[in-house]
Amino acid sequence: MGNKSSFLWAIFALFCPFVLLSQTPQDTIAPATEEEDYSQYDNLGFADQGAKRYCSPKIFGLSPQRFVSVAWDMQLAHDARFSTIGAYDEGDNPPVAETGRVRSAGGLRLGANIPVVSRNSILWQMGANFANTAYDIRDIQRVTSDNNSVATALNERGLRTAGLNTTVFKPLGEHQFLLFQGSADLSGDYTFSDMQSLRYLRYSAAAIWGKRPHDRKQWGVGIARTYRVGEMNYIPVILFNWTSVNRKWGSEVLFPARAHMRYTVNPRQLLLAGYELEGQSYRLNTLSPNERSLEIRRGEMRARVEYQRHLFHFVWLSVQGGWRYNWSYNADYLEDGREFFRGFTGNQKYAMLNELTNPLYFNVGIHLVSP
Amino acid sequence: MRFTILLSLFLAFIAPFSASAQDNADKLLGIWESGNGKARVKVEKISNKYYGKIVWLREPNDPVTKQPKMDKNNPDESLRATPLKGYRMLKDFVYKNNEWTDGTIYDPESGSTYNCVIKMKDENTLEIRGYVGVKALGRTDTWKRLETKK
Repeated sequence: MGNKSSFLWAIFALFCPFVLLSQTPQDTIAPATEEEDYSQYDNLGFADQGAKRYCSPKIFGLSPQRFVSVAWDMQLAHDARFSTIGAYDEGDNPPVAETGRVRSAGGLRLGANIPVVSRNSILWQMGANFANTAYDIRDIQRVTSDNNSVATALNERGLRTAGLNTTVFKPLGEHQFLLFQGSADLSGDYTFSDMQSLRYLRYSAAAIWGKRPHDRKQWGVGIARTYRVGEMNYIPVILFNWTSVNRKWGSEVLFPARAHMRYTVNPRQLLLAGYELEGQSYRLNTLSPNERSLEIRRGEMRARVEYQRHLFHFVWLSVQGGWRYNWSYNADYLEDGREFFRGFTGNQKYAMLNELTNPLYFNVGIHLVSP
Repeated sequence: MRFTILLSLFLAFIAPFSASAQDNADKLLGIWESGNGKARVKVEKISNKYYGKIVWLREPNDPVTKQPKMDKNNPDESLRATPLKGYRMLKDFVYKNNEWTDGTIYDPESGSTYNCVIKMKDENTLEIRGYVGVKALGRTDTWKRLETKK
């Protein structure tokens, strides 16, 4: 091999990659220019004949979905009246055990919701939540000599709930979908050093079939097992998310759990007005003798106005204020911690019939939102 | 002389692999439809980076003004009169380790720009993951390749 052939080899080897590099696939569509005829993109089909289109879980204008939330929730001063522990029908007038003035009730709320599988054909998210309610109850008046003091238990230990949840959105095509939600929550007066047994986990779930006729509306119907008003119940649910043509107005409804009207100031500022039902069944460990679990069926309706705004990058602020209406603060004894179904028509007796007056409340949160 | 021959052989050996990597990278080129079917995006290559511009919208006109949609949600006010058709929503992607990375994706509906990585599931399917800071905090959209109807 002479010098010439070596030289040619070297030239070939050096330029070979660049020659191949320049061989980009032929584009059958003209390169983009300012005058590009976009009508050429109208009549296209999937290259993969088996490909399908699926509806999105979102519609235009919905308030942003939250990946991570840190919030502070506080109910202002109100009065509390706790009955003696016994067996009462709803509507009875049981003896009062103690009264007190709740100066404040509230605390930290954390939430996280992370996509595990995120495809067009299925979306699966897992989440975790924690909410603490610390009570500051003053002027406690003991009316009976009974040793059970709910007010003292609340003052000393407060209530908290921690749970895991999951959501699966399964589109059935371009216009129909299924939505499943499930959660397991541990609620009570436990602390991290005095943890509550997992046998007192309470489970909620919902299944919805829905339609998404266009990019501004989705609706659905389904059934839920819920603790939203404190007691376990099975109820029908209606989903209705809608945004007006001009994108200014809308609704975000999962009835009866929550319903809000939405006004979009601009894509980075939203106003919502409506209500949400909140609730859980809280075990009071200090008042649960032997295997009987005394559980406060805490359910409340929060009529409110919420302002959401983009702060920076993907961080949003929410400020919420409104009126907290006490739906239930009654208590049940659960034998061996076993849940039962009272529903709207059951006649099981309550262990306590308690009353709270209805204060104003506020909630301020910072959220990392989803793309 | 020996060095030249060795260098030539070495370059000749690696050339097909470089070319193959480049061929794979260019598989991103073409017309793609987003998962929700609202937009079609044409991916082009400019100076060894990949860009995707909107070339079709299911709803091309603003329902209120009846005029072609503009980028009215852009946080930069000076860009709000830019037509969405032709808008480069994918920017600055480079091909590394069998994926297109280091780029961003713009969501005209919110006016937000996200970090983004693109993986090719098969030659007609892309998995486009927009994320916030870390990849775990993101959402994946599946895009399908389009071609002229036969």
